[in-house]
Amino acid sequence: MKKVVAVLMAMALSMAALAGCGSGKDETKAPETKADAAETKADAAETKADAAETKADAAETKAEGGSEPSGDPIYIAVAGPMTGDNENYGKGFYNAATMMAEEWNAKGGCMGRPVEIVQYDDKNSPEEAASIAQKIASDGNVAGVIGHFASGVCMVAAPTYQENKIIEISPSSSHPDYSGIGEYIFRNNTVIRTEAGAALDIAVNDLGKTKIGVISIMTDWGTSTGAIVEELIAEMGDKVELVAHEEVEESSDDYSPAITKLNDAGAEVCVCVGMYSLDGPVAKQYKAINPDIQIIGFSNAYDEQLLELGGEAVEGMCFPVLFYSGSDDPAIKNYVDGYTEKFGGAPSALTSQAYDSVGMLLTAIEECGTTDSETVMKKLYEITYPGVTGETKFDEIGDVQKEFVKMTVKDGAFVPMN
Amino acid sequence: MIVQLFNGLTLGMAYALIAVGYSMVFGILRLVNFSHGSVYAFGAHAALLFVGFQFGLLPAAILSLLLTGVLGVLIDKTALEPLRKKGSVPVASLITTIGISNIIQNLLTVYFGSERKSFPAVFDFGSFKIGDITITSKQICMCLVSLVLMAILVIIVQKTKVGLAMRATEQNSKAANMMGVNVNFVISFTFFIAGVSASIAGVLIGGYYEVVYPTMGFMAGLKAFAAAVLGGIGSLPGAIVGGLVIGISESMAATFLGSTWRDCMAFVILIIVLLVKPNGLFGKKGIVKV
Amino acid sequence: MKEKRTFIYNLEYYVGKFKFPLLLICAVVLIGLPFLGTSQYIMNLAIKIGVYAMFGLGLNLLVGYVGLISLGHAGFVAIGAYTCSLLLLKAGMNFWLALLLSAVVAALFGILLGLPTLRLSGSYLSIVTLGFGEIVKTILKNWKSVTGGTLGVKPIPKPTLFGTSMTLANNGLYFIMLFLLVLVTLFCIVVVKSKTGRAFLAIKTDETAAVMMGINVTYYKVLAFVLSGVICAVAGGYYATTMGYIDPNSFTFDTSTTILSIVILGGMGTTRGIFLGSLILIVFPELSRALMDYRFVVYGVILVLMMRFRPQGILGWKSQVPYKLSKRVKKEVEG
Repeated sequence: MKKVVAVLMAMALSMAALAGCGSGKDETKAPETKADAAETKADAAETKADAAETKADAAETKAEGGSEPSGDPIYIAVAGPMTGDNENYGKGFYNAATMMAEEWNAKGGCMGRPVEIVQYDDKNSPEEAASIAQKIASDGNVAGVIGHFASGVCMVAAPTYQENKIIEISPSSSHPDYSGIGEYIFRNNTVIRTEAGAALDIAVNDLGKTKIGVISIMTDWGTSTGAIVEELIAEMGDKVELVAHEEVEESSDDYSPAITKLNDAGAEVCVCVGMYSLDGPVAKQYKAINPDIQIIGFSNAYDEQLLELGGEAVEGMCFPVLFYSGSDDPAIKNYVDGYTEKFGGAPSALTSQAYDSVGMLLTAIEECGTTDSETVMKKLYEITYPGVTGETKFDEIGDVQKEFVKMTVKDGAFVPMN
Repeated sequence: MIVQLFNGLTLGMAYALIAVGYSMVFGILRLVNFSHGSVYAFGAHAALLFVGFQFGLLPAAILSLLLTGVLGVLIDKTALEPLRKKGSVPVASLITTIGISNIIQNLLTVYFGSERKSFPAVFDFGSFKIGDITITSKQICMCLVSLVLMAILVIIVQKTKVGLAMRATEQNSKAANMMGVNVNFVISFTFFIAGVSASIAGVLIGGYYEVVYPTMGFMAGLKAFAAAVLGGIGSLPGAIVGGLVIGISESMAATFLGSTWRDCMAFVILIIVLLVKPNGLFGKKGIVKV
Repeated sequence: MKEKRTFIYNLEYYVGKFKFPLLLICAVVLIGLPFLGTSQYIMNLAIKIGVYAMFGLGLNLLVGYVGLISLGHAGFVAIGAYTCSLLLLKAGMNFWLALLLSAVVAALFGILLGLPTLRLSGSYLSIVTLGFGEIVKTILKNWKSVTGGTLGVKPIPKPTLFGTSMTLANNGLYFIMLFLLVLVTLFCIVVVKSKTGRAFLAIKTDETAAVMMGINVTYYKVLAFVLSGVICAVAGGYYATTMGYIDPNSFTFDTSTTILSIVILGGMGTTRGIFLGSLILIVFPELSRALMDYRFVVYGVILVLMMRFRPQGILGWKSQVPYKLSKRVKKEVEG
């Protein structure tokens, strides 16, 4: 019986500690949040009352070429893997978001208020993401969330955001069901089907290959994309043939059994459903046994790391992208140069989509003159945003349609095909 | 089919190289050193760092061998030796090595970043064609180098004075101590050798796949450990055989079942073997004293 | 050393003396927690702590009382979570029935995993359990027609009670957690206090001696695996419904080591320690978000230091209060 008591005492102690810690947290956070909310309301009122003034202000700002933003900051959360296996993606999101925020702040802020980016590390784990979504919802001072990286992770967090009326824009989720979770859930990335279609288009129409082998990575994204690629090949009719489809484990570096199978089946082209971290090694290991193989990737192959990992083996590899950093467009050039200077490396496609997502959210807030999420959410469906990843407009379920650029690797650099 | 067999052979050699480290430490301390996988990743990253200094690959590899060996000793001296002195329960040491593994792996992530990094290829002289079969020079060299290293290890353990002390400690550390063997030195030396062999494995495997990353040691470490147990832990030839069995069975599983089943093959085979022969294929029968 | 002993003695003495008021305070605090205006985030955290405490209690039966180290308990959690959520989702079954069935399935796997203990011991057994965890994960990944492979299972419906859906918002989930936690805790205490518990301890202390005493070691070892697996599976099944989504990567080797660390940190073979261990290990990563990359380095350092300076766990002390004989025994002794 003593043990029972001891247990319960420990429980009491622990729960008391928890409650203590909980209330402690609330004490520090709550006034801020409330004050923030109050101010937001006041702000909204002010904005309405002084609409004319604001406009005048904005004009002035432009005329002066920037003034110091003042007042309470507008918080935008960036959630993604900041540590762990996929940290470079999360950090890319964060870098892009801070860069966009700095640009706005240099222009005088959003609605005259400074923009501040808060980062949350979900380690790309659904469990962590659920907890982070709860945290963001509880704090309640965030104007919107940019992120969550993997589709599966986004799908866990999204219902919480939807329930609490928090806008979530994922720059990377590609699962078909994601954006249908609710009206507050957006995606600034194309759905898998469109992208897979573009990749196969390169293989079949541009390169004239008919025997297709597929290597797909064993993640939620890889599995669903692999299935879609299979479907699309079947739809193409008799002239195109799927010779083999192999799934591989993300963590293994030895893809030779899968490659040997593809090669024995006589594949002319290998469609790599994976990140650059799959494309590079697969290209290397495949070219070691068959130098003539054509490798096709997806838009997430577009990363400087691919050239480093793949070396000569990725020469001639093709993939569709939404964003090409070598573009001559001055706006894109400006952005790429700025990013490269700041973070020492050109931005990837997903990073650029994060950059645009922040810009879009801030534009919507500015145009609404409030951070009230319902108003901003409605606005997001209306605006067309000229971003670095092309004109972006959300359709009725919060998806975007974009044009693909076909890319290839030539002399150790990314260039558009033809 | 033969190509797959060869793929498996190469992979098996890689596992064997890592398995030796587990096997030696377990032989002497009866301790599963969970940090070994991270030590292996550390070895590969150290080599990557030194390659960056432009001395060439060989000096870089040698520097990393020494550094990793020292790391092995450091782990023993700072974390495990105090536990032995206190006579703690075995599970304490086990948890300690899990903790150390956490520390090393995450420090690597902090300093090198989590992404896969390109590693210079070793022994890349193109590939051969025998009939329909393509075998790369990398695969052959990897097997040869591993075999040579194993031979060197066997010589150290069987023919040198330190090796004699190691075997004595393995049989009975108290008795060895009384016979004038400096047991603590022997243990440190074992950790040094384990670190060096892990680092060699890191450089070879890193050079073979041409990628390194902080979590590379995790799965490889678990499978290598399975290989060590399979072969009979504490036995060097056992580690090689265990590594080869697991490597080839993985490759076969990938061929006949699909690549996604390979990760559990090591454990399936391990469990079957352990049920039939609880001390592994080459393991000595432990004598339980009442 | 002496002073410490007195402190623990005093602690135990007073806890023993005031056990009912203390029990009451615990109950009031735990039941009152949701009504203090705590945010959903904190409630979510509280649920996570409770669930991991259940995992820990389950593993503790095996590690703390029988002395078998398992490195694959994530496998049991996964079996529970998948069985429960698939039954809910595909068969439209009642939550409580699904939970019960997942316990049955886990028990079967417990027997399966327990059988190798006939032949293996120590580190060899640990590696078999580790393999078990990995094999379960691989099967979940590859058996696509049932488990959905890497796409996972979603959306898992919330449990219902008398027709109302239990959610985080109406605190239903929290109270189910409390109910299960109390149930599991009481179950563990009953098992430990019983003949079974004494047999467990005898096996842990000296297996050979236990055999000599006529204890059926094989039976009790397998039983320990079954009980431990069942508890983890029930907690896992419940946890799946709170998450609303599971995939094979939710149950990795890391999960197994976290559960083991909870048991070791709090104190093996104690029940009080598991609660503290779970509290510390779940709250720490949340509080230390600011440390970023160094978070898990610190986690590792804590584990190492713990083992160095307090390997018995934070609350893992031996009872200082004299063992109380039951009234019947006392009567017999006194004649």
